Amino acid sequence: MKVLMVCTEKLPVPPVLGGAIQTYISGTLPHLRAFHNITVIGISDPSLPDKETKDGIEYVRVPGKVFDLYQEEIVRFVKNNHFDLIHIFNRPRLVMPVRSVAPLSKISLSMHNDMFNVDKINPVDAKAVLEEVSNIVTISDYVGNVIRTLYPEASSKIRTIYSGVDTERFLPKYHSKMRVIRDDLRKKHGLENKTVILFAGRLSVNKGVDRLIRALPQLSRKFKDLALVVVGSKWFSQNEITDYVAYIRALAKRQPIPVVATGFVSPDEIQNWFGAADLFVCTSLWQEPLARVHYEAMAAGLPIVTTARGGNAEVIRQRENGLVVDNPEDPSCFAEKITEILSNKSLLKRMGERGRELAVTNFEWKRVADEILDVWKQAIQMQHTPLPSIDRNEIEPRVEVGKEEISKENKGLQGVDPNNRKNKEKQSDKKKQREKEKQSDKKKQREEEKQREKEKQREKEKKHEEEKQREKEKKREEEKQREKEKKREKEKQREEEK
Amino acid sequence: MNNQAIVPWEVDELTHEFFVPEYIVTMAHEVLKSYTFQVKSMQVVTTKPDKGGAIWKLETNSGPKSFKLLHRRITRSMFSLGAQKYLVEVQGARVPGIVKTKNGQEFVEAGEKLWFVAEWIEPLVPVTKDLEGAKQLCYALGEFHRLSKGYTPPSQAEVASRLTKWPKSYEKIMIKMDWFRNIAKAYEEMPASPHLLGVVDQFQEQARKSIEQIHQSSYWSLVEKGNQNWGLVHQDYGWSNGQMGPKGMWIIDLDGVAYDLPIRDLRKLISGTMADLYKWDVTWVREMIKAYHGANPITPELYELLMIDFSLPNEFYKNIKEVLYEPELFLNEITTQLITTIVDTDQTKWPVLKEIQNDWRK
Repeated sequence: MKVLMVCTEKLPVPPVLGGAIQTYISGTLPHLRAFHNITVIGISDPSLPDKETKDGIEYVRVPGKVFDLYQEEIVRFVKNNHFDLIHIFNRPRLVMPVRSVAPLSKISLSMHNDMFNVDKINPVDAKAVLEEVSNIVTISDYVGNVIRTLYPEASSKIRTIYSGVDTERFLPKYHSKMRVIRDDLRKKHGLENKTVILFAGRLSVNKGVDRLIRALPQLSRKFKDLALVVVGSKWFSQNEITDYVAYIRALAKRQPIPVVATGFVSPDEIQNWFGAADLFVCTSLWQEPLARVHYEAMAAGLPIVTTARGGNAEVIRQRENGLVVDNPEDPSCFAEKITEILSNKSLLKRMGERGRELAVTNFEWKRVADEILDVWKQAIQMQHTPLPSIDRNEIEPRVEVGKEEISKENKGLQGVDPNNRKNKEKQSDKKKQREKEKQSDKKKQREEEKQREKEKQREKEKKHEEEKQREKEKKREEEKQREKEKKREKEKQREEEK
Repeated sequence: MNNQAIVPWEVDELTHEFFVPEYIVTMAHEVLKSYTFQVKSMQVVTTKPDKGGAIWKLETNSGPKSFKLLHRRITRSMFSLGAQKYLVEVQGARVPGIVKTKNGQEFVEAGEKLWFVAEWIEPLVPVTKDLEGAKQLCYALGEFHRLSKGYTPPSQAEVASRLTKWPKSYEKIMIKMDWFRNIAKAYEEMPASPHLLGVVDQFQEQARKSIEQIHQSSYWSLVEKGNQNWGLVHQDYGWSNGQMGPKGMWIIDLDGVAYDLPIRDLRKLISGTMADLYKWDVTWVREMIKAYHGANPITPELYELLMIDFSLPNEFYKNIKEVLYEPELFLNEITTQLITTIVDTDQTKWPVLKEIQNDWRK
């Protein structure tokens, strides 16, 4: 069948500039193309042609970056080309505009992060989208559960398909292809004879590498041969460095062990750093959907220390392929877990091997592709869900909490089909008149419903906010308590020493 | 046109004050070919080497102009230019008019950035550095905010809005206090470190209280009124970007405008002015707010938010942030003195806030 895969407006496919979604698409394409006639539409890039057929896949690249412009391009393309199935990646807000020009195609949706949250798409639109799509693929249970919590009615359509990794590219340190690379890289950065802890990711507050750096004094007291490698861009940038990067740089300078910052590493060389390391640490503080680095670390045979945030821990089998830090705010919790692994050489080895094994058996791209094929098959077999009986031209732009973009999208919706049937029909027809009145009633009802929804969601959000606030308070209190206890301990010790 | 992407540039003791890399100068000359006027002379007046921006003053056969290379993303700059056009053409505000290209465009794209030409307003004189001057500034700011309401950005532009971001930015300030503390601990032997450690808790506590208050305030219901209802903040308004000129006060350098609750500009102007006075002065604060209110009325709800925004450790945060960049240089004796000054000024803030907190009730 003819399938269109719709990427996001941010980064091009193939992932010449990286990107998890782009990697996911490119990883699965070699397997998917054997079964279907596939077109991939995404944003243009100076290094890629706007149109090409490569390995039997048609690529169409259009201007993007700004969502509204991208949406217009997508709609124009879908309007002029027929597809049996359209698979949209991580942009629920594209679903309705696409549907308006592809009334007969099946639509499935992949969710890579929390784009269904109310600050990203308003509840009324979200519900319409959820009704419209045949199924929703999420990259972790966490992502699916967030959608379920907000929209329980969508539950049966949601299915987790974990991402994958190229296990031929990410190789363990003992693999013959990796050994030389590892030795060279370590030599070049003065890491011979070191136990190398690896962090790879954006240098941002959310990703929390500062906690790992702050755990180093404690770790270096126990392990003399440690080094930390931080793979992430902007470290060396003289210009446009963020406060956060400045902060971690200033901290790193003061560490008793070497902290090697690699700066930007191109996506096609990153596997070398995994091959050069001995332990992988993910320090994410935010509710992360499920970072790709976990698969890459597993494939590279590295034990993983990760955080109990979002979906990250879903691929960790405790003490089998890694350990999970429950309170990642506290640097000493990282020190504790890292110590547990590093002080037991056989555990270190076993965890790495188990990780590799899991990657090869569970996280190959072929498995991901097979599951997607299965989802597509289901979508095609499903009864067509009829459009809800609303005249889309009547959806008015609404301004909500910071949702100017959403109101813009509605503008886009209105502009989608200037030849909309309804517009062409003669308004003099009495039947139509009655219809119109009905519609306007419906519209009113919808408006009211929207209002109610909004309020409900706001309530939810408020509660959530309050809860968060309370939790923070609690944590702060606990920390204070802990601090006090520590102080008391110390004082006691001092007393005793005296 | 050579379309090499414009990137930030290095400045060192070998480059002069207004150095602009050769390729950018060449590009500037190319860009100017899109305009009908003849350039008689061209002089760099400001640069932003760390961001990749510059401003020239042009003498042309149709009078003086300012010529700007905007450092922001093209789609972001389009938002600001659209605003400037709206303020001049629709609202008749006293902000410099944009000079169109031969093709009737407001800007030229080159080096992956936007360039544009605006009228150079002459003469422009800074207001006097006293309460009268401060009031003039505030009134002009209110006027600017009022006229910016109703702006809709062009369709190619991104929507720059800080409206919903207040709680997040408050949180950030609070988090960064942790960073200041951790840096001071890591560089504990530096002269200013013990002083910083001595006061950071109290300022963090202030931030925590502000966060608590904003969550209890009418912030979210104000936000719900939407971007266009509130209009734009200038984000860089002060004694140099508001000046007296033909027919009244002019507001210049609109490149950073964004949708927001407008009183954020007012808060910055007042707290910055108080820092310059080394103490909070209740008369100044009251009069400045009143002057602003005369041009753009402040509701009790907005006033409440103004008070909350004052309660943040704004000056401490703004001045100490530099510690993250070069602690080994920053944490010196001068910073010790700076911290003392900030703490002293901060102590005069609270009685003033207490005194004026009920001004807008009843």
